[in-house]
Amino acid sequence: MSVEVEVNENDLTEMVDQVWESYLDPEGLNPLMQTYDENQPSDVHSSVSITGSWTGHIVYASSTLAARRAAAAFLAVEPDEVSEEDLSDVLGELANIVGGNVKAMLPPGAFLSLPQVVLAPEATARYPNAQRISGVYGIWDGEPVSISMWHSSTADNNSTKEGAE
Amino acid sequence: MKILIADDSRVMRQIVVRTLRQAGFGDHDLIEAANGKEAFDIVKAESPDLVLSDWNMPEMNGIECLRALRAAGNDVKYGFVTSESTPEMKEQAEAAGALFFIVKPFSAERFDEVFAPILG
Repeated sequence: MSVEVEVNENDLTEMVDQVWESYLDPEGLNPLMQTYDENQPSDVHSSVSITGSWTGHIVYASSTLAARRAAAAFLAVEPDEVSEEDLSDVLGELANIVGGNVKAMLPPGAFLSLPQVVLAPEATARYPNAQRISGVYGIWDGEPVSISMWHSSTADNNSTKEGAE
Repeated sequence: MKILIADDSRVMRQIVVRTLRQAGFGDHDLIEAANGKEAFDIVKAESPDLVLSDWNMPEMNGIECLRALRAAGNDVKYGFVTSESTPEMKEQAEAAGALFFIVKPFSAERFDEVFAPILG
């Protein structure tokens, strides 16, 4: 049975801050500036699914340029040296890191999927019977980046249909 | 010493290598595997002294790899570098014979703290 999630936006923000501090902005020069705009645009996104004690998805979305800069920061290379394979790898790892940290805060019995990467806007994604419950939305060096949590209703609960067109 | 880094993300393997260097362990022989099955085969073929393994990987995950190695009588020093960290996973890792559990995102300081006693 799924339980109420105990991961809130402050927790998500803390996880995202750790990722920036460790990999994307170790010098503290370009933090993610929160916009609180859940409708900001994206070009690419990645996600991991969690099943078991809680069911849902963690979604990382950004512009292509922000993804390229993230890959460059991870790899310690220039953005124009980043291949599409590197970009996909980093997008997947970003969703995986945040998803793993979210899972650590959930009740025992949660399982994390391998990441899925889609080089298309987050708006193209459909998560059946799921609704967005929280997120961190911001601008990183002038480019949009967001990390959001989607909660799936259980199979015997048809009250939530958003995103399941 | 020979150190095997097992992670399905090539970028994350590079980051682990870079962080090992930053923590002062760059002089060791660093080799890589892209999943648990490959890690199992490389451990048997190349006998590394230490394995740093991701948990969630295709083909065979990290804990399955560790259990398979121990079942085959291999006692290579083995630990996890993973984004997932729950008490039950740590218990499983410890029960299977893991020496350490490092959570992503990690720092060079964390690597130094964990690996200095192991690598000297």
